[in-house]
Amino acid sequence: MVVMILENVPESLRGELSRWMIEPRAGVFVGTMNAMIRDRLWERVNKRKGVGGCMQVYSWPNEQGFIVRQEGVSSRDIADFDGLQLVRRRKTL
Amino acid sequence: MKITDLHDLPKLRDGLGYLYVERAHIEQKSLGVVLDYPDTEVPIPSASLAALLLGPGTTISHAAVRALADNGCSIIWCGEGAVRVYAQGVGETRKGHRLLRQAELVCNPDMRAQVVMRMYRMRFEKKLPEDLTIEQVRGMEGVRVREAYAQAAKRTGIIWTGRAYRPGDWNAADPVNRALSAANSCLYGVCHAAIVSAGYSTGLGFVHTGKQLSFVYDIADLYKVETTIPVAFECAANPGPELERRVRTTCRDVFLVQKILQRVVPDIARALAVDEPLDLPSNADPDVEAAIPGGLWDPDHETVEGGVNYGGDDSGERPREPEGGAEPVDD
Repeated sequence: MVVMILENVPESLRGELSRWMIEPRAGVFVGTMNAMIRDRLWERVNKRKGVGGCMQVYSWPNEQGFIVRQEGVSSRDIADFDGLQLVRRRKTL
Repeated sequence: MKITDLHDLPKLRDGLGYLYVERAHIEQKSLGVVLDYPDTEVPIPSASLAALLLGPGTTISHAAVRALADNGCSIIWCGEGAVRVYAQGVGETRKGHRLLRQAELVCNPDMRAQVVMRMYRMRFEKKLPEDLTIEQVRGMEGVRVREAYAQAAKRTGIIWTGRAYRPGDWNAADPVNRALSAANSCLYGVCHAAIVSAGYSTGLGFVHTGKQLSFVYDIADLYKVETTIPVAFECAANPGPELERRVRTTCRDVFLVQKILQRVVPDIARALAVDEPLDLPSNADPDVEAAIPGGLWDPDHETVEGGVNYGGDDSGERPREPEGGAEPVDD
């Protein structure tokens, strides 16, 4: 399974992604695809994200069962703790 | 939220092994547990996590400890890089039957010898002859470990001069010895967490004896040849400033490939010949309510019901005095 989360990206990019994946919430995409298509979508999103940010989560046979990767600016970042991927969020002051 | 049904928690084998943290405040926040940094915070998956290893520079709040304990996440206070264990919190089970079994096996020399032999045999792929003595099998184990070091040295091109480390002077050791110490500490942490979370004692060792972590060393020794020795040699072949960190990351991958977390609790049961699931000694399941004190031991009936006053109708706390005064004591 592949999940993509897009923040602040061009509307047309979301429309394009909806050809491969469902969008149950604004900017959240879920689908199943092979590794090649997953990577090609990731490249396409990265090229077209503009000032926005994107995150891709996909199943992987590691301890957590998935991998998260992200590019661009988003409200939360991925923190790596010796191989465990956790979310680092900025505090709102 | 208090976990009322422990079935809500993932089994140790399904969860995440360990999380090592240093220089952070650990707080409870909006019912979750977070690593609290000056500008950011990182929520941790406490219910899926077997052990939270707290390194130097960490502080933890009372509420966070309570939340972690409720979620069956062992808390272990350790040295930098998780290389030394200082203290531990509670594990995932409130049951005591495994601890009692372990104590029984340790205290009976015949039973203890059987466990020691079983632990040694588990390390060899081929079946060992039945009539070996402990001295013989201990010698075979020494040869097996020496060969593992020699093979790893040959494969990685490292000149192996033997296991040597000075506890007080970490950096004086050669890279491969430092890598071995770091890798073994990871393995100890995982085994420690598994032992505690399954309800055994870390101090009641069988092969090892006399240390508070004897049982941790016993269990970790089952896995060193296939995990920490190859990891340490491979990482030390290209040592760098981040050697220990690379060792920890590689250990995580190797523990996963070797399915250490899935194996360790069943392996303990196999070594102790404790069939799972065990019949509980009484109907009351102590895991349901941690505050129930459980049964009372009795030489004839094994267990009698707890929470009952056996002093009779007129009693406050003390049992009734025997009739006819005290018996004469003859000794």
